[in-house]
Amino acid sequence: MNLNVGVADMKVSNDPEAVLATYSLGSCIGIAIYDAVARVGGLLHYMLPESTLDPEKAKKNPCIFADTGIPALFKAAYKLGAKKQRIKVVIVGGSQILDQKGFFNIGKRNETAVRKMFHRNNVIIDYTDVGGVVNRTIKLAVDNGDVWLKVSGKGEKMI
Amino acid sequence: MIDIASIIKKIDRLKPVPQVAHKVMAIAENPESSMSELSKIIVYDTAVTANLLKAVNSAYFGLPDQVNSVHQAIVYMGIEQVVDLVLMSAGSENLKEAQEGYDLDTGDLWKYSVSSALIARELAEKIGAKDVHLIFTAALLKDIGKVILSQYVKDSFEKIDTLVTEKGFTFREAEKEVIGIDHAELGGLMAQKWNFSPKMVEIIKNHHLPQKSSMSEIETSIVYMADMICMMMGIGVGSDGLAYRFHQEIVKRLNLTEKDFQDVIARFAEKIEQIESMVRI
Repeated sequence: MNLNVGVADMKVSNDPEAVLATYSLGSCIGIAIYDAVARVGGLLHYMLPESTLDPEKAKKNPCIFADTGIPALFKAAYKLGAKKQRIKVVIVGGSQILDQKGFFNIGKRNETAVRKMFHRNNVIIDYTDVGGVVNRTIKLAVDNGDVWLKVSGKGEKMI
Repeated sequence: MIDIASIIKKIDRLKPVPQVAHKVMAIAENPESSMSELSKIIVYDTAVTANLLKAVNSAYFGLPDQVNSVHQAIVYMGIEQVVDLVLMSAGSENLKEAQEGYDLDTGDLWKYSVSSALIARELAEKIGAKDVHLIFTAALLKDIGKVILSQYVKDSFEKIDTLVTEKGFTFREAEKEVIGIDHAELGGLMAQKWNFSPKMVEIIKNHHLPQKSSMSEIETSIVYMADMICMMMGIGVGSDGLAYRFHQEIVKRLNLTEKDFQDVIARFAEKIEQIESMVRI
């Protein structure tokens, strides 16, 4: 069963039949987390780095921003029995338009936001495929933690 | 190189944007037009009327009551909004199909086009641009060239991709280099053939700002920036990915701050589900 994670959205599940998928990330970031013991998986698709932009919107939907979406993802997974020290993390997305620089480089800033947050909280990132100009889609099987990455125009691979 | 004339000939095989779109745009640009004039033109096209009513009754607007007539739709939504919806309906025919060469599934290009148009409208209003409907429609139709070029992109994808990944070409530049014409240029020719105004043709043709001169055109710059924002959000993006050029100076010219830029994205996030409900119809 495919569970679609929309833009600025997240899903967690311990249903072995579930495959979490989020499509067409662009400069957004997709974070897949998995605890192989609890067999709990989660997937987040956030758009922007910091909720200070609009705290009201972050309250309504924390998944718009990295700094509110990532804690929400982990908390939801803990509720289903996942443990921080067992969680594996995959990060994809964060593409950039050519010549995009500085503040307007949302892809790069989205990537920096998650790296900073994980560094501060001692979370090790197991796999990343970020940056460049490509468009990515990611899927996570809750049954065994398999992750597939699709790059538009270049097919899908298991990572 | 492929025979360009044979590519251009394919325009004739597509259904042109219906007449109602041209008439409605003319009405929208005339401040003296009345509600009943607009209504008369719309009801004449049954397909457009049906699409309009479906859109008005979609979750995007969340109206308390069912709207059953064009007249009622105009009363509820206002002329501006109805004009946008009619233009959307008129443009949807060709844009809804899957485009294999760009790795776009059914509905993806349509979602991209509608999203660009809505963001272009928001930017146009923020900046106080005059021809909002022109900007909206140009943003909606800017990638119409992909509908024809998709087949050629599919056949030459490896060559195009090599230029992008190894030589620093944008996807559009690579299309031009390998196929001989790019999707923006082809889109401009299509708009011309379908009797759109020279201004509309210019915006579609130049929406990736191929020359510095097109940067001075405010309408083109707005459509360009809306495109950039949609690309970043990944809404309906395909195999061309984000392989286009970002011109920082346009951000300044449009007086957009970094906060404005992100606000547009955050606002879009709030509306995304409703937009999806609207483009599914």
